[in-house]
Amino acid sequence: MTSKISVNKPDSYALLNGDEAVARGAVEANIKVAAAYPGTPSTEILETLAEATKDLGIYAEWSINEIVAAEVAIGASMTGVRALTSMKHVGLNVASDAIMTLAYTGIEGGLVIVVCDDPALHSSQNEQDTRYFAVHAKLPLLDAGNPQEALDMARRAYEISEKLRLPIILRLTTRVAHGKARVKLGEFQKLARKAEFDKNIPRWVMVPANASRQHRVLESRLLEAKYEAETSQFNIIEDNNTKIGIIGSGVGYYYARSLVDTTKVSWLKLGFVHPFPSEMVKTFAKKVKKLIVLEELRPYIEENLARLKIDFIGKTELGLEEIGEFTPDKIRTALSKLHLTTTPESPQQLNLTPRPPGLCPGCTHRALYYALNMLHKSVHCETTKCVGCGTCEYACSHNKEKVHNPAKSRIRVVRQNQIQNIAISCQICQNPACIIACPKEALSQSPLTGIIIVDKKQCNGCGWCIEACPYGAINMHPTTRKPMVCDVCGGNPRCVKLCPEGALSLRGKSNDKIVAGDIGCYSLGALPPIKALQTCLCMGGGISQAAGMIHAGTKDKVFAVIGDSTFFHGGMPGLLNIAYNKANVCVIVMDNSIVAMTGHQPTPGSGKTAMGQDAKIINIEAIVRALGIEKVFTVDPYDLKTTMQTLKKATNHEGPSVVIAKRPCPLLTPHGTPRKIKDNCKGCRVCTEAFGCPAISQNGNKVKIDTALCNGCGVCDKVCPFNAIGEIDRETQT
Amino acid sequence: MKPKLDIVFSGVGGQGVVVLSDIFCEAAMIEDFNVAKAEIHGMAQRGGSIVAYARIGTKVEAPLIETGKADAIVGFEVLETTRALPMLKENGTVIVNMKLIPPNGLTANVKLKNTEELLELLRTKALVHQVDGPGIAQKLGNTLVVNTILLGALSALPEIPLKAESFQQAIANRLKEKYINLNLKAFQLGRESVQNNQR
Repeated sequence: MTSKISVNKPDSYALLNGDEAVARGAVEANIKVAAAYPGTPSTEILETLAEATKDLGIYAEWSINEIVAAEVAIGASMTGVRALTSMKHVGLNVASDAIMTLAYTGIEGGLVIVVCDDPALHSSQNEQDTRYFAVHAKLPLLDAGNPQEALDMARRAYEISEKLRLPIILRLTTRVAHGKARVKLGEFQKLARKAEFDKNIPRWVMVPANASRQHRVLESRLLEAKYEAETSQFNIIEDNNTKIGIIGSGVGYYYARSLVDTTKVSWLKLGFVHPFPSEMVKTFAKKVKKLIVLEELRPYIEENLARLKIDFIGKTELGLEEIGEFTPDKIRTALSKLHLTTTPESPQQLNLTPRPPGLCPGCTHRALYYALNMLHKSVHCETTKCVGCGTCEYACSHNKEKVHNPAKSRIRVVRQNQIQNIAISCQICQNPACIIACPKEALSQSPLTGIIIVDKKQCNGCGWCIEACPYGAINMHPTTRKPMVCDVCGGNPRCVKLCPEGALSLRGKSNDKIVAGDIGCYSLGALPPIKALQTCLCMGGGISQAAGMIHAGTKDKVFAVIGDSTFFHGGMPGLLNIAYNKANVCVIVMDNSIVAMTGHQPTPGSGKTAMGQDAKIINIEAIVRALGIEKVFTVDPYDLKTTMQTLKKATNHEGPSVVIAKRPCPLLTPHGTPRKIKDNCKGCRVCTEAFGCPAISQNGNKVKIDTALCNGCGVCDKVCPFNAIGEIDRETQT
Repeated sequence: MKPKLDIVFSGVGGQGVVVLSDIFCEAAMIEDFNVAKAEIHGMAQRGGSIVAYARIGTKVEAPLIETGKADAIVGFEVLETTRALPMLKENGTVIVNMKLIPPNGLTANVKLKNTEELLELLRTKALVHQVDGPGIAQKLGNTLVVNTILLGALSALPEIPLKAESFQQAIANRLKEKYINLNLKAFQLGRESVQNNQR
């Protein structure tokens, strides 16, 4: 099958999203090299180009991060061929070191830097506005408002780039990048260029003397760029001889056009926004009495108008914010203030249960998080909060025995002195005294969770364990005469939920642990019910945040979790840093050998390139060791027992350690046999509320498994404290 | 002038919402409509809410549909169909696939509305066509064709100005050859499910 952009059919139409349109525009401009790192909403640009490589002789690669991608594209451009690099807005921060100085050297072959902003943070960690980066870097910027513009701008940007000898930033926003439209295709340009590098040292070697001169060159190029902006085909005035004018950029302009009678106002669509086409804007402003500005995110156009001393009606007067994306509803509300549209009706309120995104059924990250969450867990009581009400005792006895009888509770409230109460339950000791004391060897400790298991057949009810426990946390059952020990309800203790004072919590052995997160699917582990990690800042940031906490003197055990692609992208320097500067962090590399969140692009651990060729798999464990980490473990996260034992080993180690939890993304591997809930389900909800698999849901007092959603990973079998989950019968499907 | 039509496609990540809205737009393009659509990718490979908007007409300026202005909703799941209801105009049409998927991370104290309660909500504002997608798909022996069944149902609505042949062609253009026949059958059964309903 040929790719959807690789057929040269000028003036025909195709249904393309903004990303695909950019790829098509770049192909029409005859680019030779494209490099990118995946990031929503920019991913499909390189993906589409990579599909087209076979037909068109383009080189396309997934680079390990955005600056590497930018440098690859820059190198190609330096030889005189046309090149493209694409990234999401925050990727531009990573690439900015190269791009800031690239502005000085300029380019040889046309170079377009495509940046996709994400107003409303559909899948991002901030809402930065790339138009301001263009100001900061002194580079021209085109701002696309729909997929057709994206295609036309991408193609034209190469001509502008070569004319000005500057890279061009092409900005899309999510609604443009991931909005599809009927797009008219253009013709393939044929350039017969050979890669030749002109060894012009004063131009390419940015030592101070050369860079200072090139800065002057950049200023003169910017003046030319301003002229280009003033006469650009992407800045269009539609003069309807009216008193009101609307000036807009991006998708917001088109929302306005779909709501307002277009003949009742004059329009100025800005597409070439930096350098700002001030003369054109002045001309437009003179023709109208009222000038309305519509632009998402920051007030870039407004600030330019203020500088030019042009009066306008902007975000403040219209009640539009710098936060979030525009919607037709917001634009209608804004324009209704000026009587350009009718006022919107207030939307129906339905109060439905939300459906937040979450880790998929069978996700390897969920298994790892469960293991991490269960590490040395026990119920902890804050004596300053506990009022001794005994609610926990009722909660426990009811949950375990279906009676409200404190004598049958695994947790006991004790009055320590006149003003202090404490609720005591098993503290999950290492080398527990109760086990040692038992004369019948009836007690054992779960290697997974540290929970004390009582073998009721072996136990003779002597009560020595009760005597031995240093906390007084074991009690005798009043009727069965066997000891009762808290099992933290498999990670979902009822007493913690029902404590009216919030005095109880589920915590690690001596201290709570800190888990620094990173960017990828696994960030979703911060959401309930998993709630396994507490930070997410930037690509590769978690490892060094964790190190900072250690150096600041935190007493908690500090973990950092990072995905394989994020590790390659930005995790390696942080890891080298903790190896050399000795931070006692346990780094968990969650290696599913793919960039899962953006739609399964290959990483250096996948064994395939963007163009589908085989590649040598880069071994993460070897990198980790080479970076100076001595304690390195590789585990299969589905093997909960080994994973927990390994995490424990890593935790006990003083100094940096790495656990690589390796298993391919379950969306790319064959499903196992779906699971079912057996009759002995007690309805403890560990599988739904501590493990949190979306294929398992509540069913009256018990739970059920949706076999269509279940991918048969089987981890829940091991999670269930009652052994009440098993495979369905393949024959009968029950 | 071609009629203007705004359709909301709503479901859960992994159900094929985006693909279906694409095929609808491609069918419209075969009949020379202009189209624009919006969708959100990423962050919910499986399990989160997914909405796609498809707009067709002589001229379509922007991809998002205004609240309360959509002509129809094609819902892949009952709760998500209901979530899209504020988008629908008064007396619009709803096609709802009879499947309820409980959301992620529900705790015991959350009371989830059941299918009948959700359908009741839908009926307050819309003409509702219930489509037994899972049942029809099972008859065809492939649970993955539910979205094509829904497309068939959509194609049968009187307000849809497109010919069945355009949909069939769009399906054939989009899918791998070995899946085309199965999906054309699914399309036909979906189409009949609504036609029978209207009689």
